[in-house]
Amino acid sequence: MLKGLTFLVLLQLCGSLISQTLLPMLPGPIIGLLLLLGWLLVRGEIGEPLTQAANGLLQYLPLLLVVPAAGILVSGEQLLGDLGAILAALLLSLLVTVPLCGWLMQAMIRRIDRARDER
Amino acid sequence: MPAAFWQGLWTGLITHPLFAVALTLVAFQISLVVYRRTRWLLLQPVMVSTALVVAVLLASGIDYARFRAEAAPIALLLGPATVALAVPLYRNLGRIRQLFWPILVTLVVGGSLTVILTLLIAHLLGAELPVLVSMAPKSATMPIAMLVAEQWGGTASLAAVMVMITGVAGTAMGPWLYRLAGVHSPAARGLGYGINAHAVGTVRALEEGDECGAFAALGMSLMGILIAVVLPLGLALWLR
Repeated sequence: MLKGLTFLVLLQLCGSLISQTLLPMLPGPIIGLLLLLGWLLVRGEIGEPLTQAANGLLQYLPLLLVVPAAGILVSGEQLLGDLGAILAALLLSLLVTVPLCGWLMQAMIRRIDRARDER
Repeated sequence: MPAAFWQGLWTGLITHPLFAVALTLVAFQISLVVYRRTRWLLLQPVMVSTALVVAVLLASGIDYARFRAEAAPIALLLGPATVALAVPLYRNLGRIRQLFWPILVTLVVGGSLTVILTLLIAHLLGAELPVLVSMAPKSATMPIAMLVAEQWGGTASLAAVMVMITGVAGTAMGPWLYRLAGVHSPAARGLGYGINAHAVGTVRALEEGDECGAFAALGMSLMGILIAVVLPLGLALWLR
């Protein structure tokens, strides 16, 4: 667990350094994610310590998100000023794109699966 | 007991350096119990915990900057957890490679449409430019959205709120919308959750299964890259 966590922290640090020097538009953790994916591809297996650390952290992802989410306290006024427009825009766009993404992806998956069965 | 005693106890509690961490942990435990008892998707643990935390902060007069600084040990793990998303991604790479083109098409069509629709509706309803810029990256994960919004004259914390509303609402409406549209494939459901509702959607997708979770993590990462790299280019052209 600790070995895996150490590795994840080091990868995030590498990602942050790359972000600061070369790729300012991508945040460190996302670059770290890509680095880890690359490393797993090269190595060909995940390994017990990393599995444990990843499972442990991902299980508590909702808890980790609570702290930034409470930032709603600070921007409450700006939010209330345009509340109607903001909520309508966010919710209506979700009503369209959530089913669209799922439907589009499923339709293409089925076509690929059918093509494979016919072969 | 005299009132001064209780006053002192309360002050001692809310000024303790561990108060913010304890508050977050306790709020989360309560919201988990509520979620498990009711299984009601509107009561996402993130949303219920946040509401509890905000209520206590308001009642005790602690400002967000102090809470944020004292709860930093919890938020600090958000980075390594984001990196760890590569693990479920790698585990399902075979299936992902097989579906490379469908993923790319869904991402570009769905991802662009959600941003364009959001901006269009908000603009028509009279939202101002700083609010629009804070809304544009709403489907990305929080760090990316805050970064993009700040770079283009929006407000980082407002962008974080948009991200949160989108994530919670998308996740709460997701199962219902999928049932209406007849979407049953775990890969398709996962990708939709990831593209539209980022980390909150990914948490829900992981509950539905490993494959669903992997595609959600993939959708979230790719959407993050799309928003971090392509959206600034779009905004630059639009605001020129």
